[in-house]
Amino acid sequence: MTASAVIETSGLTKDYGAGRGLFGLDLEVREGEVFGFLGPNGAGKSTTLRLLLDLIRPTAGRARVLGLDTRRDSLAIRRRVGFLPGDFALHPRLSGRVMLGHLAELRGGVDKRAIDSLAERFDADLDRPVRQLSTGNRQKLGLIQAFMHEPELLILDEPIAGLDPLVQQSFHALLTEVSDAGRTVLLSSHTLSEVERVTDRLAILREGRLVVVDSAQNLRHVAVQRLAIEFAASVAAGEFRALPGVREAIAEGPIVTVSFEGSADAVVKLAATHEVRAIRPREDDLEDIFLRYYRAAPGDSGPGVDLGGRGDHGASA
Amino acid sequence: MSWPVAKLALRLRLPAAISAGIGLIAVIIAVGALFPAVGHTIGKLNIPSSVAGLLGGANYGTITGWFQSEICSIYGPLVVGALGITAATALTAGEEDERILALTLAYPIRRAQLLLGKAAAVAVIVVVVAVATGIGLVVGVAVGGGGISTGHIAAVTIQLAGFGFATGAVALAIAGGAGRRGLASGVATAVGLGGWLINSFAPLVHGIVWLEYLSPFYYYARHDPLTSGVDVLGLVVLCGLAAALTVVGVIGFERRDLRG
Repeated sequence: MTASAVIETSGLTKDYGAGRGLFGLDLEVREGEVFGFLGPNGAGKSTTLRLLLDLIRPTAGRARVLGLDTRRDSLAIRRRVGFLPGDFALHPRLSGRVMLGHLAELRGGVDKRAIDSLAERFDADLDRPVRQLSTGNRQKLGLIQAFMHEPELLILDEPIAGLDPLVQQSFHALLTEVSDAGRTVLLSSHTLSEVERVTDRLAILREGRLVVVDSAQNLRHVAVQRLAIEFAASVAAGEFRALPGVREAIAEGPIVTVSFEGSADAVVKLAATHEVRAIRPREDDLEDIFLRYYRAAPGDSGPGVDLGGRGDHGASA
Repeated sequence: MSWPVAKLALRLRLPAAISAGIGLIAVIIAVGALFPAVGHTIGKLNIPSSVAGLLGGANYGTITGWFQSEICSIYGPLVVGALGITAATALTAGEEDERILALTLAYPIRRAQLLLGKAAAVAVIVVVVAVATGIGLVVGVAVGGGGISTGHIAAVTIQLAGFGFATGAVALAIAGGAGRRGLASGVATAVGLGGWLINSFAPLVHGIVWLEYLSPFYYYARHDPLTSGVDVLGLVVLCGLAAALTVVGVIGFERRDLRG
């Protein structure tokens, strides 16, 4: 483990059988970075996070968090970590304030002002029973409990699930503050666009195996982006197919959906020669990124773009 | 043991236990009020020994037999056992199913501390219902004309609590070791009800009398606490069983993956 590594896993494996689980994960998260953990549902993201907190035990391999062994020193680790589970749940009959008070007690006490400050920041309602809260408002309680004791390391599983854009902004601002303060964040997501703005580096998992670790910017270069462009009148999709980097263009009435790699400049400029009513980005397709990496022959530096020296590829980081 | 865990568990489960206790008190008082009117008539019935066994002797002609059959053999252990099993299961495997334990155990708390905190809460709930049974008996006996000492009623209360600890601990052990709510409540209920049946029928069938020693109900009722007072050995067995099962639950819980 290097001096600055906050999380280090070595051959970490959790085999659930039938090809499910996590296999041979070698990963290093450095002190002070916001590290994204990306992959579709079932890729092994939550399994990894649960292994780090000793909620489940590895079949093979080992992991260290904050320099401590996740099995032997689990209690000391959990004292210094804030965790948001992907399926965050609280007792439905109790209010957020009661639950946060209870969780604070489990930590031996937390400054009440920290809770109030986070609640104000996220505009969280602490006084209604949890069962009366929407998914997003429950998620706010999850974020508050993870941040309230100012942990050295935050492990957040799908943290912005259900949050409205305003609260997402508050969350991103908080992440920036946390990172600026030298604290470390590991967060998972299943879409690149959710995490690319806030993470320093990203790891992509697929079917329990690490595909790549790189910066979001570099991964964006190999990601296929999609724009749905609504025109005032029908436009031939063929116009867009001729552009460099465009992989696909489909016209449905006045809407043309364009899939392209790299810069959006040419697509937007061509669209601007027509009367445009709206442009909407579509979800990134992680599967495309995976396929591009899998297509790369062993020993290649990457999936057809020059990533050499800018990131760590393959099943280790 | 984690005090915050026990405190929250009581906050969640105690209201139901208090409601059940109040209901039980009302039922026992009503049963006491019936005795002067029907006790002597029913007492003359010739009840088969197998049925009488199920009813704690069915000696309805005396107030002690009346309460023994109506409350101490059925309602009391049924409610105490059910509350103990329900609380033990809901607070452990139930919270695991609902993904609440995954959050709790991400906090700096040992699994043993957590389970012992839950066990303590279950014990308090069992004691509350047992004490409610005792209060109901004190009032019910007075309403029924008196004749049972407060000491003997206290003995029933204590034996009932021991029975509740044991059945609750069965649920706790399975929930701790397997994390499955249905399995925990099912097995614990089977142990409680099966124990009651075994205790009733085993003495009647030559060759399986020994089975009654396997029944928690036997150690609750074998010396009829309403007439004989506290059965110290029975109580020791019940409490020892509860302690051993709790340890089994803790060991199982420490060793396994959290589900979900």
